[in-house]
Amino acid sequence: MTGASAFQKDYKTIIPVEALARFVERLGEQYTLTGPVGGGLTARFEDVSSFSQMDLDYQSTMLPPGKKYLFEPVQEVLSFDISEGRFLEDHKDPQMRKRALIGLHPCDVNAILYLDKVFLGQYTDPFYRIRRENIFTIALNCKSVTDLCFCHLVGAGPYLKARSGYDILLTELRGLLTDSGVDSGGSGADMDGGEKKFLLELASEKARDLFHALSPDKGKPPEEKDLAKIKEMEAALLKTFKKNLDMEAVQNALLARPDHHALKETADSRCLSCSNCVMVCPTCFCHDVRDETDLALSRVKKIRRWDACQDISFARVHGGNFRAQRYARLRQFVFHKLDYDTQFGMKATVGCGRCIRWCPTGIDLTEIAKAMME
Amino acid sequence: MINGSLAPVKAVITDVRQESPGVKTFTIEPAGTFTMETHPMAKPGQFNMLGYPGVGEAPISFSVLPSGEGKKNKKDKKGKKIFGHTVRTAGRVTGFLSQFGRGDELFLRGPFGRGWPLEEVMGKHLLLITGGLGLAPLRPVIEMARSLAPIEVTLLHGARGPEDIIFKTEFARWQRVGAVKIGLTVDNPGQEQEIAGDIKIHSGLITELIRPLRIEPAQTIAFICGPEIMMRFSARELMLKGMSGSAIHVSVERRMKCGTGHCGHCQIGPWFTCKDGPVFAYDQLKGLPDVIL
Amino acid sequence: MSFYKKFRLHKKDVHSPKEKNPEKKRVGFFKFSCCTGCGFELAYFQRSLKETLESFDFTFFRLASSAGSPEGPFDLALVEGAVTEPFQIVEIKKIRAASKVLYAVGSCAIVGGIPAIKALAPEMEVERAAYRERLYEMSSTRPHVIGDYVKVDGCIRGCPPGERDLEEALASVLIGKEPEFIEYSVCMECKMAGNACVLLEDGLPCMGPVTNAGCGALCPAHHRACYSCFGLMGQANVPALKGKFRKLGFTEEDIEKRFFTLFGALGETGQ
Repeated sequence: MTGASAFQKDYKTIIPVEALARFVERLGEQYTLTGPVGGGLTARFEDVSSFSQMDLDYQSTMLPPGKKYLFEPVQEVLSFDISEGRFLEDHKDPQMRKRALIGLHPCDVNAILYLDKVFLGQYTDPFYRIRRENIFTIALNCKSVTDLCFCHLVGAGPYLKARSGYDILLTELRGLLTDSGVDSGGSGADMDGGEKKFLLELASEKARDLFHALSPDKGKPPEEKDLAKIKEMEAALLKTFKKNLDMEAVQNALLARPDHHALKETADSRCLSCSNCVMVCPTCFCHDVRDETDLALSRVKKIRRWDACQDISFARVHGGNFRAQRYARLRQFVFHKLDYDTQFGMKATVGCGRCIRWCPTGIDLTEIAKAMME
Repeated sequence: MINGSLAPVKAVITDVRQESPGVKTFTIEPAGTFTMETHPMAKPGQFNMLGYPGVGEAPISFSVLPSGEGKKNKKDKKGKKIFGHTVRTAGRVTGFLSQFGRGDELFLRGPFGRGWPLEEVMGKHLLLITGGLGLAPLRPVIEMARSLAPIEVTLLHGARGPEDIIFKTEFARWQRVGAVKIGLTVDNPGQEQEIAGDIKIHSGLITELIRPLRIEPAQTIAFICGPEIMMRFSARELMLKGMSGSAIHVSVERRMKCGTGHCGHCQIGPWFTCKDGPVFAYDQLKGLPDVIL
Repeated sequence: MSFYKKFRLHKKDVHSPKEKNPEKKRVGFFKFSCCTGCGFELAYFQRSLKETLESFDFTFFRLASSAGSPEGPFDLALVEGAVTEPFQIVEIKKIRAASKVLYAVGSCAIVGGIPAIKALAPEMEVERAAYRERLYEMSSTRPHVIGDYVKVDGCIRGCPPGERDLEEALASVLIGKEPEFIEYSVCMECKMAGNACVLLEDGLPCMGPVTNAGCGALCPAHHRACYSCFGLMGQANVPALKGKFRKLGFTEEDIEKRFFTLFGALGETGQ
């Protein structure tokens, strides 16, 4: 989408955090700035007025930023004028400001690339499209890995490999110019005479134009040793992942055992069908559409809202329910994330671990898959 | 990329025909800005999202197509192109539509989905197996069957009782004009022993009509539409005769909200029923969870 | 012709606006054993009160007016409260007979609500504790939900109900369609609102995962645990949530008494 023309991701520069802050704040003159606040595992993406309000050391958020801003939880999509007997034009949302999403982790960027396939595929969703066109994405490679992350298993992190579909990629440089190796985490200035620096990579023409026009400090090109250091940091980070699962083996293996006892037992003993997993999933796109009529019979509003395959009514038709049993609904979630790669030509999970973290009973889809393959 | 907007268009009901208890065929004429020319030409097996603002929408297959009646376009008396949907009063939307009559407006979006693979029919024995309302999505295929150049057309239809057989007045014409071989069976035999055209009504399962059929497996293509359990046993019967799952096509029903592969309700395994189906080769669905096939 | 046009022509043109419009839908609102909170909710119908009065004639609604007869006929009967006295059984059957559509309103009518607490002890003990020496004046029964005695066309859940389901119920009668009530968990509304999770972040015994939504996750939005006042959702996995509460350190007694008996003790109405 954003960078659809073959823009070469070849512009790399190292800039100090102050320069990045100034660039972002200049960007704020054209875009609503939205970034992580609160920090830790429960940070939230919110509109901010300055760079310093954001906590770029955050680990995870509950709601995924891409879904939250590109595919809103509740959306009026159409309205019907009863007295005129006709549908009014699609809401084009003209007031929608351009939004810069800052500090997205690679998993969340990959989730947006997945949503692109859903909503900009054979049929275009007009609401998603207009939001997507108005979003400026600044991705941030991860500094740390949580216990529940498994992005490394599906190529969705901890460093972003996609070359387009976003605008800027940041990597915080740590431990540069020292020989003590990568530091163990934490935030702030260290190692480099107290100055926090980022490798900044431009991934779209829009980003190139904006960076050159707005950034007062263009930084300096990275040296070989800087890039080597970043490779080292990535390798060190990869060693800290706790989760493991053979993703290639999972493909079609789950489908071969659709009634496995691990599914049924997990569903019976722990699954609440509460749909928290689906709500926090950055790639879950299902939604319901219903008509709301005002009681004076003047307007009908068509409302779209997030829906979940865990709901009892999700696959119900008149006279039957294709997933009446709890384990069938849990299976839909697990299989969709791990097995149905052919649907959009990519895994439907980005390994962010949110569904595990926000499940009241901690159901872990990778553990179910492992048990099913034993 | 095609517009995935949820905005429907208005259409007018020009005729309503009661097919059987609780089943009506609405003949529909495009209204306003919507014409058959601006609207992509629908194919047999595809569906419209039919509905009314305030009530909702339901996916309903075409049972009458403008291109469906032999070589001539289906037109009304004024020469306007029309199409039709056969609807059973069942849920919220269809229950609501059932009160509609001639001259009433409704709203629709479509056509959606992949239709029957008509291009594979030429030179084959076309075997149509239907149950209940499952005859409706195949009606346009029967009407245009001769233009598809099959070597033979057989229709096996099952219903609950003789009174539940839809399109009852059309079987004789299909037999006479279309040279369609017809077998009828019902679960609960009633007074009626045969229908016009001397077609005997058997009693029993549809599989009992399939079993005595003589088919050349490699030269046969089957289109099946009906309740999922009926499609399962019909397909099994055909496979016992040596047909491959790729030559057996079924049309399935799922909950749908959008028709454009966005809302996710109609997913079966990796497929979206609305855009990858509703017609699937049996092979595509066999073994997937949450299907009875 | 458009369905709505037909409806409106019928509604407006036949009768002059001044005379009482008999084409308005006739509604009766009935109260059994409860706090009348659902009636108040309807009287305070904030988003839609004006529109409601344009389309509906509340021919019997004691909370709003002493006029009107409970005899009907009604296009719609709304019934709040649980059945706890013998005469109510006769009444509810009469109401059903006089009404085209009957919706149970609120937790007391649908799952038992507060009146259902007395189902936890033998009737004699409950009555003795409440009425002491005047026990002979009492003719109370075990608490029952409306659906135990009459066919219920739909349940407008809540304590009191949320506006969304109330609107859906009234609109469905107006248009003549089946209503589509909320059937998912409070967690879904809570997540869509972006609230912090009081169960996982604060360790509060939140009933949200098993509770039918409709309230807009009101309690969790104010950092309080959901206490399931809307009743359990369909196929609620109660043992699984009890297990979670045990892990949070709550005792069996707490779990049983404080969390799982207040609402929903009588189970779902037979729809």
